[in-house]
Amino acid sequence: MDVHLDQLTMQFNDTTAVDSITTTIKDGELVSLLGPSGCGKSTTLMLLSGLYKPTAGDIYFGDEKVTTMDAEKRGIGMVFQNYALYPHLSVLKNIMFPLKMQKVPKKEAIQQVMEMAKLVQIDHLLDRKPAQLSGGQQQRVAIARALVKKPKLLLLDEPLSNLDARLRLEMREEIRRIQQEVGITAVFVTHDQEEALSISDRVMLMNNGVLQQENAPQQMYRKPENIFAASFLGNPPINFLTLHKTENNTYVIQGSSQTLELPSMKWQTHEAFQMGLRPEDLYTVPEEEGLFSGEIIHMETIGRDTLIRLQLGDVTVRALVDPKSRLRVGDRCSLAIEPQEVHYFDPKTGERLRGGNDNDAQANLEKHA
Amino acid sequence: MMLKPTWKSTLKALLYLLPALLILVTFNIYPIVKSFLMSFYTNYDFFKNIINERGFSNFIELFQDPNFIQALQNTVIFVIGVVPISIILSLAIAILLNSKIKFSGLFRTIYFLPFVTSVVAVAIVWSWIFHSDYGLLNYFLGWFGVDPIDWLTDPTFAMPALIILSIWKGLGFNIIIFLAGLQSVNEQYYLAAKVDGASAWHRFKSVTLPLLSPTMFFVSIISIINAFKVFDEIFALFNGKPGPANSALTVVYYVYQKFYEEWEFGLASAAAFVLFIIVFLFTIIQLIIGRKFVHYQ
Amino acid sequence: MRSALSKSTIYILLAIGAVFMLLPFVWMLSTSLKAPNEVMAMPPVWIPSELNWDNFTEALAVAPFDRYFVNSLIVTVISTIGELVTTILAAYAFSRINFFGKNIIFAVLLGTMMVPGEVLLIPNFVTLSNLGWIDTYQALIVPWTASVFAIFLLRQFFLGVPKELSFAAKVDGCSEFRFLWYVMVPLAKPALITVALLKIINSWNAFLWPLIVTNSQELRTLPVGLSAFTTEAGIKYELLMAASTMVVVPMLILFFIMQKYIIAGVARSGLKG
Repeated sequence: MDVHLDQLTMQFNDTTAVDSITTTIKDGELVSLLGPSGCGKSTTLMLLSGLYKPTAGDIYFGDEKVTTMDAEKRGIGMVFQNYALYPHLSVLKNIMFPLKMQKVPKKEAIQQVMEMAKLVQIDHLLDRKPAQLSGGQQQRVAIARALVKKPKLLLLDEPLSNLDARLRLEMREEIRRIQQEVGITAVFVTHDQEEALSISDRVMLMNNGVLQQENAPQQMYRKPENIFAASFLGNPPINFLTLHKTENNTYVIQGSSQTLELPSMKWQTHEAFQMGLRPEDLYTVPEEEGLFSGEIIHMETIGRDTLIRLQLGDVTVRALVDPKSRLRVGDRCSLAIEPQEVHYFDPKTGERLRGGNDNDAQANLEKHA
Repeated sequence: MMLKPTWKSTLKALLYLLPALLILVTFNIYPIVKSFLMSFYTNYDFFKNIINERGFSNFIELFQDPNFIQALQNTVIFVIGVVPISIILSLAIAILLNSKIKFSGLFRTIYFLPFVTSVVAVAIVWSWIFHSDYGLLNYFLGWFGVDPIDWLTDPTFAMPALIILSIWKGLGFNIIIFLAGLQSVNEQYYLAAKVDGASAWHRFKSVTLPLLSPTMFFVSIISIINAFKVFDEIFALFNGKPGPANSALTVVYYVYQKFYEEWEFGLASAAAFVLFIIVFLFTIIQLIIGRKFVHYQ
Repeated sequence: MRSALSKSTIYILLAIGAVFMLLPFVWMLSTSLKAPNEVMAMPPVWIPSELNWDNFTEALAVAPFDRYFVNSLIVTVISTIGELVTTILAAYAFSRINFFGKNIIFAVLLGTMMVPGEVLLIPNFVTLSNLGWIDTYQALIVPWTASVFAIFLLRQFFLGVPKELSFAAKVDGCSEFRFLWYVMVPLAKPALITVALLKIINSWNAFLWPLIVTNSQELRTLPVGLSAFTTEAGIKYELLMAASTMVVVPMLILFFIMQKYIIAGVARSGLKG
């Protein structure tokens, strides 16, 4: 079943939590709603569930308009961050609860519960109370409860954020496995970019109630459509340098005295723009080949990566470098980047001008002395 | 995020509230207003529900009635007799119970027993204990060479008898509240005071008392308010009379007399209204002073 | 205060107090089982030489305590159930529904807690006589089937139940009303037990109200019947004590079984101050 949102809007008093979102979630797809807290992703999920009713716009499940339909009639399954299991009921009864509401005969209900419990691998815990389960087990129960009535749509509201790091990884894969096994359309809300990028077919990035960008995960990372998307994705975060035009094709980096020359292109009519450089795309080069240089003020090695922080005047730039390099704090260091890896943004609108994996991105960047 | 109220949600809420509101409006809210109005009915025919006259004469008559003045006096004496002793005793017992001893649960149960029992029943038991010839109390006092006292028939001793019964009855409630208050005082304060070398008395004075002051205050006000409402004990202890020579006539008993024995609804309502004002004042004091001066953690 | 008093001093002080607290009960039981000639013996006889259970049958013969007992039971059970139902519904509205006038209604209700019940006596009596309810079970029960204190207590409990639970239930196809009974009520069991127990104690022991709204002997509750019995039994203290025992013992048993909840409820009411 396709889910279609048409200019969906939700206002609470004076704040617009969801601002005119239009999109379609395709049948069987797992879509992540990603964004910082307060961006409206959870509200969007609540609107999809019918627990909130939008102030404007419409929601369609397939061809059916469900905008004003109550949650209990929408035939959806939902998983919550705090699991929201009924504390006084056993695991079996928790999973059976939706079937009981539908007045499914008990025998049949128990059979369906058993099937579901096997799917999420908790069939040995059916007699326990939720309080006797670990976080991961509780989450499995919550998923089973959401799926037992064979919903058309599965909604997951930050389902992993109450779990510890290792378990989160495991449950992430589990959710993906279960979703694909059942073949259900699913919407997954998270503030964790890694989670969103790893689990989903498509990521919808939101900020301030506005849908910023929707793409396949890798594409969003490689080709952010605005400054927000570029800065939200990536860890360590992307570096931004603001460039001001001094003369033809020569730009000065704001906050430092260094300049660089860019080849002439049609978008360069801008007096200033922002250049986004992902730390992992930067690499060290001899002084004369570098795009810019600065003093290393900080170095740390995390696992296989070495992260350095470079001071250029008032700005700092993060870069991941070869751990075998003999760099030390206090050294001067020059960095370069492949031209096609540079992202250009309009500083006024925040919109992407050019860059990423654009095919025309063969600009020749050279340091200008 | 709470969804905004709508007419639909209001209607739904009112349906949920309907049973409770029906009862509360009829038997709690309406009578408050009605009681106030009735105190101004100076010529009221209850049987026909006809109000012939309204005015302040009930209040004038009330304060000219020596019985009402005595009821007020007795009530104040009762409050002064019960509240301080009860609070000191219950605080002391609560502190003892809180000192990590064995059987503290058992002791707590024993002290709390009177709270769950019928006032009428225990008052009758006490009237037997107060019996001048065969009562236990006079028997015990006899050990110390005290002559038998006519607890329930001598006007001098009727009030002390009532006070003894009331303290006994109410002790458990206060102890539980004080225990709850003591248990909410953080252990660290004591440890800190101990490390600072404070003596036990000093710790009590400078740690326990200040931290317990909200509880003390609450217990005091509740005790005062409850003491102002005393009735059942008197009725049962003195066998349906307000003590010998009205020596245990209290405000509520006065209301009962005027209302149920003499059918003076206006006067009774006026007396009830005076009671309400007294209780209200103490409640207000609790709300205001409680916020301002009491040391909260 | 540990170092101020030795352990043994603490035990002695508490034990003296405990004796003082228990003595009336012991004396009541002891007298209720004595033969008439031992009742007024001096020095007092503590343990009856023979357990004289006849006092109970004799008390029952003088006044219909079995009838009083049934009345008390009816009044207590129905008013407790009634209060639980009205409380659950009202507490749900105050904790889970946003509606116009919510704060005002709640504030007015809380305000009524300041008014002593004795003040309401006269107008309520008038209301009941207008309804023709004087000397009926309704008069004993209906006015006591809702309590602001109980609503307040349960509302606090309901507010602590995570919102997601009601969301989950809705998504699971559960209507709001069913959610209240299937999920909220089972969850609030401790709070409900506390509310019910405090209600049972109050209802069982209530005196002034049943005294005023009943006239006939058939409608007397135990405390009213017991109070009337003091006249009926005259100076037969063994009968009076037997009757008092019948009134007191059910609540003592209830207390011993449900102590935890009762004390928790009282402590909670205290900390609200």
